[in-house]
Amino acid sequence: MKKSVILLFVVCVLATTVFAQSGVKKKRPLPYEYGRVLISNFSEQAGLPAVEFEHWFHRTKFTCRLCHVDLAFAMKAGGSSIRAADNAKGFYCGTCHNGKKGPDGKKIFESCSVPWTRDDLPKCQRCHSHGKVVKREHDFDAVTGKFPRERFGNGINWEKAENDGLIKLTDEIPGVSIPRPPMAGVKDFSISPTTQGIAEIIFSHKKHTVWNGCEVCHPEIFIGVKKGTTKYSMVEIYGGKYCGVCHGSVAFPLLDCQRCHTKPVQQL
Amino acid sequence: MRHAVLSTILCLIFAGTAFAQWDLPKNLPPDEYGTVLINRTSEKNGVKPAVFSHWVHRRKHTCRVCHFEIEFNFKVNTTEITEAASKGGRYCGTAGCHDGKAVFGHSEENCGRCHTGTRTTDTKLYASLSSFPKNRYGNGVNWVKALDEGLIKPLTTLTIPQADMSFDKRLRLEAEWQKIPAAVFPHGEHNAWLDCNNCHPDIFNIKKKTTKHFAMVRILQGEFCGVCHLSVAFPMDDCKRCHPKMR
Repeated sequence: MKKSVILLFVVCVLATTVFAQSGVKKKRPLPYEYGRVLISNFSEQAGLPAVEFEHWFHRTKFTCRLCHVDLAFAMKAGGSSIRAADNAKGFYCGTCHNGKKGPDGKKIFESCSVPWTRDDLPKCQRCHSHGKVVKREHDFDAVTGKFPRERFGNGINWEKAENDGLIKLTDEIPGVSIPRPPMAGVKDFSISPTTQGIAEIIFSHKKHTVWNGCEVCHPEIFIGVKKGTTKYSMVEIYGGKYCGVCHGSVAFPLLDCQRCHTKPVQQL
Repeated sequence: MRHAVLSTILCLIFAGTAFAQWDLPKNLPPDEYGTVLINRTSEKNGVKPAVFSHWVHRRKHTCRVCHFEIEFNFKVNTTEITEAASKGGRYCGTAGCHDGKAVFGHSEENCGRCHTGTRTTDTKLYASLSSFPKNRYGNGVNWVKALDEGLIKPLTTLTIPQADMSFDKRLRLEAEWQKIPAAVFPHGEHNAWLDCNNCHPDIFNIKKKTTKHFAMVRILQGEFCGVCHLSVAFPMDDCKRCHPKMR
């Protein structure tokens, strides 16, 4: 018996090494799927489908910072262990989704109410929609049709959309956000890759702080604020660390090498 | 008993990995090599599949233009090409391509020019390649040389200028088997056609010393180098082109 267990284990290990890396292109999400997050800490136990959160719609209205700093949403799907009761008390989704008016004067539908009954199901399925055919209130093409286009990800140049005033982002919620002084200008800087011959990276603080403030990245993702303190490699970034925390799942994906590696190689 | 069953499964798995599909794909006529028939929804909608000849297009555009800028996937029928998208300026209908100005567009009289349902559509044009440097396999053309000698000047970009692609590290990939000479990989010759992202990190991760994964068996099955070098780029009948010391 014991032997067969060991054998089975060996087979499993071999199988994982054989299939660990597949040398073909991965399927890319479609523009409206990019940035979709499945949240299922307790949903399925409670007999509800997982929550499908659409980053694309929320980022037409709010900065990243608002949800990921002020509302304490973790950066990893399921990392916040949100319970229905939390939402009902006005935390997490319930901060905005409380049946009251949002910053633009439109009523925002209420999230989880406790206790819920079967009659509430159509309401629940507005978010708990994974695997269900739910007609969304906001259609991707209708909302983003006029936004400046771009390759990859959502196919939208979010930065330009903001600059052009097509989207106006809320960065603070009175009573929730701590008032912050306006951010001082922070400098752009270049980073030299460790492999010779690869174009240098230009990191634009300005572009990042519009959405993120300081706290989304510092000090948890990038320790300290001194250049060179955090050492990282492209392999780690592809693995979802450092820049890869956002770029690859929500912000423009890591397909567009030359968007960061923009500066011609310095001739020695 | 259980022991025996498990050992059999184990043997089968090994046998499967070791002896699976060693044959190279059949050599197509040179004018059909790299020609695909796109039929994701065509026939379902009562239209003949659309023909796409890589060799016709690569005279004028590098792989990068279509597979990076225009976002065509590498595998046929996996890109959501629709008539509406093409007419709206995406995919085949991208500005500067089949937009009705640069080249014939998506108006009704042109449907039949691509939706032919046959790979031999562009055969007549093939004579235009007769002056190109020869290659034994594939299209019968050494595309790398044709580019070097300036016989073709394919566009590398449509809208977004290409950044520094001068990275030209040559890799020496030791073979797994004894007596097989190492394979040589030139970044430069690939960069002339491709964007970094066409290969990295999906097909080849960028971890150092992971070439062990690139077993020839898997390449022959269409992974790694085999993503392109079985169907579009020069086929692998030509061992010496990568393993130059092969006798």
